[in-house]
Amino acid sequence: MPRAAIATSFDPINDERSLIARAVIGDRTAARILYDAHAARVHRIAYRICGDAELAADLTQDVFVLVFRELPKFRGESAFATWVHRIAVTVSLNAMRKVKRLREREMDLDEARHHEQESGDIDPDLRDRLAAAIDALPDGLRVALVMHTIEGYTHAEVGNALGIAEGTSKARVFEARAKLRQSLGDFLEER
Amino acid sequence: MDEKRLDELLADAVHTYRVPPEPPFDAIWSRVEEEAFAQATMRRTGPGWRSLAAAVAASLVVGVSVGRFSTHSAHPAAVTVVNASTVTPALTAAAQVAAAPYQRATEEFLGSTALLLAALPRDGSGDQASTLLPEQAAQLLTTTRLLLDSPISTNPRMKALLQDLELVLAQVARLQPRRENVTLTLISQTLEERELVPRIRSAVADLSTFDY
Repeated sequence: MPRAAIATSFDPINDERSLIARAVIGDRTAARILYDAHAARVHRIAYRICGDAELAADLTQDVFVLVFRELPKFRGESAFATWVHRIAVTVSLNAMRKVKRLREREMDLDEARHHEQESGDIDPDLRDRLAAAIDALPDGLRVALVMHTIEGYTHAEVGNALGIAEGTSKARVFEARAKLRQSLGDFLEER
Repeated sequence: MDEKRLDELLADAVHTYRVPPEPPFDAIWSRVEEEAFAQATMRRTGPGWRSLAAAVAASLVVGVSVGRFSTHSAHPAAVTVVNASTVTPALTAAAQVAAAPYQRATEEFLGSTALLLAALPRDGSGDQASTLLPEQAAQLLTTTRLLLDSPISTNPRMKALLQDLELVLAQVARLQPRRENVTLTLISQTLEERELVPRIRSAVADLSTFDY
């Protein structure tokens, strides 16, 4: 590409490619800008997966340490955000496998109430039951459901992050929803 | 439970299911910076060419130190370091404080490029180039082009050096096992004819006096 063309289409300060290149050669300012751009979403998906504030912070740290260590290998074949989120999901799931007990851990109710936002006319018991039903899903179904339905990732992005086909992501979300319907239906019948 | 009701519940869950508290982003960053960047420069030197890399880096540091000492005798401690893997944390910290972002990026780039050039197998030695070298050269090539478009290239000597390095790095990035000898000969010729390694050393020494 002619240099003039690069110069006109390229913002050396803010362009993500420039930031990545600068971070690769050890520019911590560029790395910090990349971190600021992606940390919130990484932390959110880590927290949604693990449900523990302290662990989510640790996972966020682990994700970005890995991101900056592996940055020289980033080829730009996928979007940088996609690459980062794939690492985030992998790190979070690996951590969860090591800390199985957290799956049984009930979220602190006070903390949950603190962060919940009032929304519509959802029965609080039903909301708690839904949360418990999501937590009870197998990891593969739960993460696909959380990423797609709650976090808004496309099936392609979910597939990319989990290393599965887009169609498999759709199937997992479908199956997760079926399990939730079953679980919540049972709950409503009991009442 | 029907689909519509489930959709309503899941829409509600977007705002209520494990909503994360505000994380300590600055504290997390501090730990990331400490862990990722303290070791990053160590990893740049791959197995098999550490000794060469260390030799070149040491030579650069000495060269820079001598250059700085002779041009800034009133401030003998103001030494800029080109490769943190081989120098003390105190020197690295001093360099970080003193250097502007582009200067620092350029110094790191020049140091890494010198290390890569030193790691190339000598022509006719029979050594095989690491498969990592073309990859690293490709990364450095990208950086070269970014620097060529940056304020650092307003200095004509730096621009000329970057253009020459762009040529050599492009050759290294295209190294192929079967044609390696031919390409290595070309690279060696370019390095010698254009005196690239001495020019890199000189450029690093001059960086602190550039005015962008």
